[in-house]
Amino acid sequence: MATHTFRRSRLGGIALLAVAGLTLSACSTGGSSDSAEGGEIEPATITFAASTFGDPGLGPRLQELVDEYNASQDIVTIEPAAVPFPTFGQTVLTQMGGGEGPDLVRFDMPEFTSAADAGLLEPLDDKIDADELGLQEGPDQYMFVNDERYGVIFDTSNYVMYYNTDLIPEPPTTFDEFMDVAKATTQGDVYGLAFRQTQAEENGVWQDIFNYVYGFGGEWSDGEELTLNNPKNVEGLEAYQSLYDANVIPKGADAATFRKMFAQNKVGMELNNGGYLVATRGTNPDLNFSVAPIPFPVRAQGAIMAPIVINANSEHKDAAMDFINWVLEAENQTSLQEALGASSVATKTTRSDEQLAETPFLPVYDELTNSSSPQIVVGFGPQTADIRKIVVTQVISALQGQQTMEEALDNAQDEAEQIVG
Amino acid sequence: MKRVRIGVVGRMIGVLIVLGIAVFPIYWMFTTALTSDADLFAPEPRWFPDFGQFYVFVDALAEGPTLTWLANSTIVAIGTTVFSIGLGIPLAYALSRFSFKGKVAVGLLLLMTQMLPEALMVVPLFSLYRRFELLDSLAGLILANTAFVLPIVALVLKGAIDGIPKELEEAGRVDGARPLAVLLRINVPIILPSIAAAAVIAFFHAWNEYVFAVTFIFNKSLQPASVGLAGFIGEQGTAIQTIMAVAFMFTLPAVAFYLFAQKYVVSGMTAGAVKG
Repeated sequence: MATHTFRRSRLGGIALLAVAGLTLSACSTGGSSDSAEGGEIEPATITFAASTFGDPGLGPRLQELVDEYNASQDIVTIEPAAVPFPTFGQTVLTQMGGGEGPDLVRFDMPEFTSAADAGLLEPLDDKIDADELGLQEGPDQYMFVNDERYGVIFDTSNYVMYYNTDLIPEPPTTFDEFMDVAKATTQGDVYGLAFRQTQAEENGVWQDIFNYVYGFGGEWSDGEELTLNNPKNVEGLEAYQSLYDANVIPKGADAATFRKMFAQNKVGMELNNGGYLVATRGTNPDLNFSVAPIPFPVRAQGAIMAPIVINANSEHKDAAMDFINWVLEAENQTSLQEALGASSVATKTTRSDEQLAETPFLPVYDELTNSSSPQIVVGFGPQTADIRKIVVTQVISALQGQQTMEEALDNAQDEAEQIVG
Repeated sequence: MKRVRIGVVGRMIGVLIVLGIAVFPIYWMFTTALTSDADLFAPEPRWFPDFGQFYVFVDALAEGPTLTWLANSTIVAIGTTVFSIGLGIPLAYALSRFSFKGKVAVGLLLLMTQMLPEALMVVPLFSLYRRFELLDSLAGLILANTAFVLPIVALVLKGAIDGIPKELEEAGRVDGARPLAVLLRINVPIILPSIAAAAVIAFFHAWNEYVFAVTFIFNKSLQPASVGLAGFIGEQGTAIQTIMAVAFMFTLPAVAFYLFAQKYVVSGMTAGAVKG
């Protein structure tokens, strides 16, 4: 995949236009940095917004890391910004577009590319030396928009198949086995599988179907043109639909519910990323589960890549950069990785013996790094959120029997082409 | 006699069914909050709360800023109610009693504001608020909610004032009452039930409002409960019992306000009946 592939394109959608408008208004009021060029950092309290702060499992661990930074010096104090997960991207983008917002943000990729394209993020080209820091090239290539670096990987989590070892002693290795195991496990109040399938969880559905599309050899674009109705995409999503139709999932249950069900031995398998490990252990430390690569024909799956960025409106950019530099120190990268569980961080770190003893299947996540992709439409990063809405709406309509999956993707292609031009 | 009894029993059953539909969600929130993880997904739902789980409520109050959220919500909701009623009464009176150029247009404009979703207003309002330094303040939130709910309050009150015979006001004027006294001493007491109903609308709107609150408030200590509640929903995990416990506590002040306002709705109706 080519590096720096995100091309500049017209802003799509009312939201982004509004954000751009607000950006202009924000620019007129000006902003200043807290320290003179090359000077010392002035004491400041800055805010850091990350949707994971609200997570019962990951939140406290992330807070500990922030506390560690705050205790390591007495010039900069980081405070978590209070932005709830359900409306995180929309809220932070609106605030940033309006000239405000948190100083530091841990974004998901679609929002990251939109924000960078709209000029809401501080360029970091002259502040980050990837070679010197030893940043992992695979994920780091996605930190550039329009050939400019706007972020550094905070955490990245590859998608794997979680399975309950009490219900499923041997994980499936092909899609047919996957279907058979899901059917065999579904009995009474126990379901073989769970995934998101409602419009209310648009972002989650997108994350889930990404694995089916790429796992069956498809792709949302070739980097230049949209390929939403690629026959491989249709095949992958028909596989997704066949699981839905087989009644092996708790239909209508949202992620919060079926993840609790997984932790209570009520769901056999789930495709999820590394962040789920800590959350699941936090919910039920006694649950017996393991992970395996997703058993689809092609070894290609999604990854949650979450860059940490500096708000272009921040009046404390140097203080914000100080935190990023601190996080990128080798020792703190290890601490962050341990806090995140199965996720990876910006640099290559070694899993400790204690970690591997506690979670012997950790290498499964790490081995998938090279075959994982962020859940954006390559070449159309800033428009991913709009394309996502179109695709998810059409796919759900197919799930509900209003059209075939092929028709759904044809319609999605037509609609999305109108947006990207 | 038998027919009358059957009618009474039928009505009672009807009332109980309606009551059940209204109260059951609140009861279910309470029961879910007091249900263990294991029981949450048991084959048979747990119909009664397990009071052994009561620590969920205690923890929610002790560990989180739940009381601060509720206090902030109360300030915003009461502030919005006071301002929208205070501004809505004269606006409604003017629309009802005075003839002026563009009166129809003003009425239509008020109606049109109700067709704009909050999500559409949040971006331009954010820009305005930033300019006037109203972001991150409860006063700003009260102002935004008042602006949003004022048209509907004014329209409700206008309808009520329209129903008051003008002769009553004329009698007041003959007795020497000035326009403000006519409004406050003659109209307001008569439309008290409508004011109470409008107050309920304003209070509930501000109590439940989320979009402005999550966008305009940055400081954790100023968050209202609607935003605080959403904060329990995590990317990978959600504390269902804690959410239900806080949501249950979130409903109580709103129910209390409704019961308080309802007294005025009923007393106003009764007063009208006796005097009439």
